[in-house]
Amino acid sequence: MEFSFSFNFHHSLWFFFGGGNKSVGTVTLVNNSKTELAKNIEKSLTDSPLFKIQEQDNTKNIESDIRKNKIFAGIVIPKDFGNFRNPSAPKEITVIYDKGNSQSNGVLFNFLNQFLTQLNFKVQNALSIFKIKEETISKNDLTYFDFVMAGLLGLALMNSSIIGIAISITKYREDKILKRITTTPLQTWKFLVAEVCSRLIVNFIQVSLILLIAVYAFKAHIYGNLVIIYALAILGAVLFQLIGFVIASIAKTTDAAQGMATAITIPMMFLAGVFFPIDSLPKWLFSIVQFLPLAPLLRMVRATILEGLSPLGNPMNFYIVLAWIIIALALSIYKFRLTEE
Amino acid sequence: MIKVIEVKELVKKYGPLAAVDNVSFYVLKGEVFGLLGENGAGKTTSLEIIEGLRKMNSGHVEILGHDIKRGINSIKNKIGVQLQASAYYEFLTLKEILELFGNFYGKSLDHEELLEMVGLKEKAKSYVTQLSGGQKQRFSIVASLINDPEIVFLDEPTTGLDPIARRNLWDIINKIRKQGKTIIITTHYMEEAEFLCDRIAIMDRGKIIAIGKTKELIEKAQNPFKINFIIRNLKNSDLARLEKLGELIADLGGKKNNYEIHLKTQKCVNKILAIIHELNPESVLVKSATLEDVFVELTGKTIKE
Repeated sequence: MEFSFSFNFHHSLWFFFGGGNKSVGTVTLVNNSKTELAKNIEKSLTDSPLFKIQEQDNTKNIESDIRKNKIFAGIVIPKDFGNFRNPSAPKEITVIYDKGNSQSNGVLFNFLNQFLTQLNFKVQNALSIFKIKEETISKNDLTYFDFVMAGLLGLALMNSSIIGIAISITKYREDKILKRITTTPLQTWKFLVAEVCSRLIVNFIQVSLILLIAVYAFKAHIYGNLVIIYALAILGAVLFQLIGFVIASIAKTTDAAQGMATAITIPMMFLAGVFFPIDSLPKWLFSIVQFLPLAPLLRMVRATILEGLSPLGNPMNFYIVLAWIIIALALSIYKFRLTEE
Repeated sequence: MIKVIEVKELVKKYGPLAAVDNVSFYVLKGEVFGLLGENGAGKTTSLEIIEGLRKMNSGHVEILGHDIKRGINSIKNKIGVQLQASAYYEFLTLKEILELFGNFYGKSLDHEELLEMVGLKEKAKSYVTQLSGGQKQRFSIVASLINDPEIVFLDEPTTGLDPIARRNLWDIINKIRKQGKTIIITTHYMEEAEFLCDRIAIMDRGKIIAIGKTKELIEKAQNPFKINFIIRNLKNSDLARLEKLGELIADLGGKKNNYEIHLKTQKCVNKILAIIHELNPESVLVKSATLEDVFVELTGKTIKE
């Protein structure tokens, strides 16, 4: 469930960030011109995933269709448009639209403007002198997915470890399994180490699956050393399992544990930089959330995966994670009991 | 006889409430010792202190000559504990649970033999959640035997079971006794304690109010005899004659014409029988007192589940 939620969430953001290919609506096209140029416009409109084009040979129903929301605009290409041999040929395309639908209209106007601007350049034989030179801070070829993949890695570790430990240990206590184990000579620390180790194995598989799917299905880029990535994953898993133990030592029931775990993981999911960089947050908020346990971990994971840098490049990240580990460890040693007493 | 458990002046307080209030008793090797009392009497708390699951406020507990204040780990190999609620992993089969718990101890009995002993051999590959109430309890008892313990603690092993499942469990407990193990059991079923236990301690509000051999406790009852009878249209004058000889309860269990009379001596029994005979009874049943009668006499209340 956690996975599907985060997946959907990511998916909607993907669209938001421009990776989606959903159309913004249907447009009626009345093309009265037979010229090459008119055909070109028609073709690029039909080919574009942004719109669904329905062709008509007259403008009769356009206004009523817009009112009925069947289409959001109509484009009329006048007769002889684009015939360069006829100087009196029309030079304007008419767009019929409803002002209320600004978002779709914006997309349509941008599309047409771009097309016509390029056309103007060509007709006037002008060279485009000024253009944008794209330059990113990283030398590496990166996509938004690469950014999100590192976030997902941390998110998966956080969710499975915090929620997993908190709920299963509380359930063991509720079911008196912990009490039953206390009646055997098995030492508590051995039981806990076994619990942690078995979960680390699961975490290892989890991280491997995420990386495999990311690289092979989503063409993600990994520039860092895999050993370091796994080491960071273990560091994160230990940290989050300890937080899970702290919850398990406070929560009396599995319901309470579930609530506490969610209360910790959901804000971290939004505020620790899983899906978007947190430095774009308001300054006061950033100055707080940069210290959340997941945030420095993600900074280290991203430095490794995206840029192939050492995760200790900024040692502060490591110190924050270490501080959280010490805090959670101290709290769980102080509070955690196998039985009620 | 060797004392395998010795409890002296045990006190356990929760705030102002003394859950266990100055309790002392001992358990002899090879016997079945019962802690009897209603819910909240302090049976389970006492047991869990002895098992090392709870801390005492004061007192002294020795198991097999070992003071548990010096740490109980060294004797955990020699005791087997069955908890009130069945407490096992839902995702492991019975066989796997026995293997796992066997690994927690230095030694482990053959799990097949154990399961066979409680008639669960065919269920070796089932999960605890697939068992009936009686089967769960049988498994929970047999799991406490995995380390071949000298002392077995059974906490209300038959609570909530139907009569057949309960008797089935009694057979198992007798089998364990025959292996020479010492059993300490808590229960609130009087007939169970009467049937199983060599010696009993009756607890009420954290205190032991009676302790001794089961038979002797029953014999000490103020009214060791009782007669149940049904007579229609009993006259007031006859009622008065009967009431002179013992404690008469009319409309027993809410049923009309049903009577029970509690009697102190055999002489009274004979006299009452003669009177009843004259009155043309529909049925007459002479019984001896039970542990329940002793309990009611001692605590002034009937036991509730």
